[in-house]
Amino acid sequence: MARYGMFIDTKKCVGCYACRVTCQMQNELPVEISYIHFHEQETGIFPNVRNEIIPVQCQHCEDAPCETVCPTKATYTTEDGIVLMDEDKCIGCKYCVVACPYGARTQDHHTGVINKCRFCADLVAEGKQPSCVSTCISDARIFGDLDDPNSEVSKAIVKHNAQPLRPDLGKSKIYYAR
Amino acid sequence: MMVWGTIIAAYLFLAGLSAGAFLTSSYVARKYPEATIIRKVGRFISPVLMGVGLLLLIVDAEAGLKDPLRFIYLFTNFSSVMTIGTYFISFFMMAAAYIALMEFLKKDVNKIVEYIGIFFAGAVAIYTGFLIGVVQTVPLWNTAILPILFVVSGLSTGIAATMLVSAFIDKKMVHHVISVKKIHLSLLVAEVFLIFTMFLITSSTNVAAAESISMIVSGQYSMLFWVGLIGVGLVLPIVIEALELLSKKKFEHDPVGLQVAASGSHGIAATLITESAVLAGGFILRMLVLLAAVPISFF
Repeated sequence: MARYGMFIDTKKCVGCYACRVTCQMQNELPVEISYIHFHEQETGIFPNVRNEIIPVQCQHCEDAPCETVCPTKATYTTEDGIVLMDEDKCIGCKYCVVACPYGARTQDHHTGVINKCRFCADLVAEGKQPSCVSTCISDARIFGDLDDPNSEVSKAIVKHNAQPLRPDLGKSKIYYAR
Repeated sequence: MMVWGTIIAAYLFLAGLSAGAFLTSSYVARKYPEATIIRKVGRFISPVLMGVGLLLLIVDAEAGLKDPLRFIYLFTNFSSVMTIGTYFISFFMMAAAYIALMEFLKKDVNKIVEYIGIFFAGAVAIYTGFLIGVVQTVPLWNTAILPILFVVSGLSTGIAATMLVSAFIDKKMVHHVISVKKIHLSLLVAEVFLIFTMFLITSSTNVAAAESISMIVSGQYSMLFWVGLIGVGLVLPIVIEALELLSKKKFEHDPVGLQVAASGSHGIAATLITESAVLAGGFILRMLVLLAAVPISFF
């Protein structure tokens, strides 16, 4: 059993949106729906400023608020710590959309079902990387087992002292170097 | 920003109203056994309006609408307030529908069922506040006073709807149930106090909360708030109710006056205005709470 998580180096991210596009292809999403959102903000004090680009998707929280509020148990967490949706159980009540602190959930306009980043669980099961990781042109993303101290992702988190976006909101599993 | 919109606001409004109407009818049944119209109106509108609210909820839950069997799963996750609410509403609907049926058939109502109904009416009213109150992402909602505000508003709109419909059928009775009017006035005053307290404290908790409150009191929704909720929904009915109660007190001193008051010659217009205003205010309150839902920043 692994405890899958991700490391994102915002200093390496150039904001090319390749991860978003490949994610849309992988999940067969229409253009207006994406599981990855880009947030840009200026950090620092003039003249030492930087335009920070932060790609945000489902943070696969260990105590996921979306899973807590989901009345139908459509949202669940796998043994490997990936938060998934059982599309056949979702009624589209949007309670999870409201509860997610990261705005990571979207509604399919045709079925009404809510969906989000799945950490490409099917690819990971085949031993591959999530598509956003393998496609990233600047190697800003690393995926792997957070419980394994020798995994690339764990080492990168330690090296860059990467932190979750809002550690006070819960145990999210995407770590950002900023 | 608005994930839950007008449909959900209407649902929250109708759920509170339905519970309030049920409680109003139970109270009137005991306090004023002679006020049969008010009791019947409360008992009839309660399950009907809850049903309308549930239909709205089903329409909003698009994926369930397209595959209705999925709604069964609503009963499965006990850590979700929505699941708990589903149980509350189910028990409440069963009790309210049974009581309405007994009333229709002119049969005696089983007391135990009525007590169960009273308990779950209260549960439904407060659950609408818990539902959004537990959402940490929206600081405007994530406050302990919100469920209390929703209960007070639910009772107030429940009384208003019951009185409004009753006024068309039996205007004398509407003026006879003085203690209902007194409770209604107290609820309206309490609502003003609760809104003030909630906004004052919530606006100081964090940036997103402050933004929500400023959107309501001085920003894009300020007209809706000051004119719609405070002016029409609260101050207007408070003034009219207070004046009515004061004038009743004067009339009560002589028997002729009491008759005049009871005849309701001066009062049906006031009742219609007051109760419609309260209902509008109740809906605007839910609408504002959903409209101004600013999520916390995750940076």
